[in-house]
Amino acid sequence: MNIDINFLGILIGAIMASSVPLILAASGELITERSGVLNLGVEGMMIIGAISGFALMVMTDNLFLAIIGSMLSGLLLSFIFGFLTQSLLTNHVATGLALTIFGIGLSAMIGKDFVGIPGKEFPLLFVNFKEAVPFFGPIFFGHSIVFYFAFLLPFGTSYFLKKTKIGLIVRAVGDSPLSAANQGINVLLVRYCCILYGGAMCGLGGAYLSLIYTPQWIENMTAGRGWIALALVVFATWSPLKVLVGAIIFGGITILQLHMQAMGIRVPVQFLSALPYIMTIVVLVIISRDSRKIKLNTPTSLGQIFYKEK
Amino acid sequence: MNTKLKVSKVSKIYPGCIANDNVSLNFKSGKIYALLGENGAGKSTLVKILSGVINPDQGQIFLNDKLLKLNSPKDAKNNNIGMVFQHFNLFETLSVFENLSIDSEKNNDQLRILVNNILKKYNFKIDLDVPILSLSAGQKQKVEIIRCLIRNPKVLIMDEPTSVLTEQETEDLFLSLKKFSKEGILIIYITHKLKEVLSLCDEVAVMRKGKVVSISRTIDEELSSLANKMIGESLNKIKKMTSNNFSEEQILTVSKLNFNSEDPYEVNLVDINFTLNKGECLGIAGISGNGQNELFQILSGETLSNNGSIKFRGKEISKLNPKERREYLMAFSPEDRISQAAVPSLKIYENVALNNFKTSNFFEKGLFNERKIKDHSKKILSNFSVNTDNVNLKSQFLSGGNLQKLILGRELITSPELLICFNPTWGLDVGAINYIHQTLVKINEQGKSIILISTDNDELLQLSDRISVINNGKLSKIMSADEVNPEKLGLLMGGGLVD
Repeated sequence: MNIDINFLGILIGAIMASSVPLILAASGELITERSGVLNLGVEGMMIIGAISGFALMVMTDNLFLAIIGSMLSGLLLSFIFGFLTQSLLTNHVATGLALTIFGIGLSAMIGKDFVGIPGKEFPLLFVNFKEAVPFFGPIFFGHSIVFYFAFLLPFGTSYFLKKTKIGLIVRAVGDSPLSAANQGINVLLVRYCCILYGGAMCGLGGAYLSLIYTPQWIENMTAGRGWIALALVVFATWSPLKVLVGAIIFGGITILQLHMQAMGIRVPVQFLSALPYIMTIVVLVIISRDSRKIKLNTPTSLGQIFYKEK
Repeated sequence: MNTKLKVSKVSKIYPGCIANDNVSLNFKSGKIYALLGENGAGKSTLVKILSGVINPDQGQIFLNDKLLKLNSPKDAKNNNIGMVFQHFNLFETLSVFENLSIDSEKNNDQLRILVNNILKKYNFKIDLDVPILSLSAGQKQKVEIIRCLIRNPKVLIMDEPTSVLTEQETEDLFLSLKKFSKEGILIIYITHKLKEVLSLCDEVAVMRKGKVVSISRTIDEELSSLANKMIGESLNKIKKMTSNNFSEEQILTVSKLNFNSEDPYEVNLVDINFTLNKGECLGIAGISGNGQNELFQILSGETLSNNGSIKFRGKEISKLNPKERREYLMAFSPEDRISQAAVPSLKIYENVALNNFKTSNFFEKGLFNERKIKDHSKKILSNFSVNTDNVNLKSQFLSGGNLQKLILGRELITSPELLICFNPTWGLDVGAINYIHQTLVKINEQGKSIILISTDNDELLQLSDRISVINNGKLSKIMSADEVNPEKLGLLMGGGLVD
């Protein structure tokens, strides 16, 4: 029985670890969208974060620099998006799609020389407790610092949006940029900051994949996680804690269905592969049914171009 | 504390239109100034310049002889210029308190005390913790006013503040404004309502086509002299013949209608009963937010009632949707022109096509018959004197008055048996109001029926044959228009008189 419980703990720990990049990218994108900006470039920013983190690690042998560098590269890419949509007033959707395509292509080009290079072991925290505490050990201990950061992030994001002045301003800009500008709020500055923050979090999410989760570079290694993160934000109706729930369900079912496939359960593989997507959407739709709450949480100006009358 | 505000030779030119042409004005605290003019006269442009939203092309503004550089609304705020815009600058999804706290340096506890004091002092009743989108238009306006007051303004600019208020609320507002004026705040009151100028203001500047055409003391003016200055031509006053000779044929019968909303911020309707005769105009008065919205939505079929019946010429229609009701030749003109009645980003002819009556054949095998719709739209534009003949113009470029004419025209051109309209002249200028009133009188004369839900009592008394008052979701007894006067309406609206 003891063995079973420990196995369960290890399984839950693995599920949580697999949901980290989704939590990071979705939390970042959530802030961006709350300010009224729809950045569909999440996938592109994640993959750029993944390759620049890995490349920096190989070149400098310094994991700290690699992590910072991945965030900066995500931020840089989102700056391009911000400049185009906010200063040159291009369409959010088209620009975001272009960003993703650009990011995937650029990462493949940079990554050519890094294929097949083994990654470096990332330092894990509280490793001693992992073995010592039954069941809870593998869930809560022996993870990287990025893991803990990711699981605190939705709570921090929720607090930021609900309780802080700056969070209020972000929501106000997302609700009505025109009213915000008339109130003397610098809408461009707020939106730029939210875009850059979103970019940095996507970069970090990508770096988690290439430095910690599967420490190596594989072309297109984000494998659509950016799109899942985007969908999570919408289906979680822009609520950070629901994003967390959605990310864990998605990670959980992804891993469970792999185990089910391995056990040879007689269900079509295609169905099992589709299961995480279906279940995540079903659960999020069910927990986000309150139409009044949806109305209050949805950034009214999402995706709209804003410019100031002069 | 004396405040002097000087506007010196301000001009603002937009492509194809001189919004402000060399405008010079002087204001001193202790008086209430009216800035009077029709829509499009340049009042709003001047106000936007004073509040830092747009920059003038030429000219200066001085506050207490100091030159002001107003590059952003923040500059105006920092110079203690407070501004209540005609179109609300509120964040719909944030709570009232969040809206107030967003530009305040005070911490939340201090601010709450301050706001509660203001609420008490001016007798405003607003729940601070509900989202703005659940407030009525009148309440939203109060939030805007409170937002100015918490910053201790030296100058308070009110841009057409009463367009959404009832008579009682307007009186309260005027008392408050007079109080502010006594407290030393310089008040500039922008309006196109002549009566308000005379009853509230000390001095009046009249603007027409971007120019200041007259500056005078209000005691030297009367309604007709101001109207002539504002419009530059004489208006003929509408008076509907209260003949009561409409036929006894019942067009609409509503009985035992109830509506319980799941949304706690909507008003429940309780036991609504009325009948409407052919050729009659039934007015429904009331303070905004007393169930008018819900009643309009149920009559138009946007929402369905829980129980009760609505019969159109004896046929039960309470379960039909708006499209099906239109097939019975009912027509609807909702309160919010921009978001409910028309899609601003669509072209005029596209907006016309949006409500296709069965008779109009705009679509053939699912395809858009563009030429037919455009011809139809041109007919509406000319029949209802909309000031453009370009059906490809985006609707957002029409002024409020012209947009309303287009909407009414779209509804009326198919000659419906029943028109239900909700605040059809909300925020329009005298000329447009006059035109719409004439149109409504005309359709009554053609034997068509009207339900007029309005918060403008003058309008109701002018146009209705019978009037009922809605208060907290209940309709009062239906009275003949002859037996009501503004005082009685006011009492019923405030719930002060139970019939």
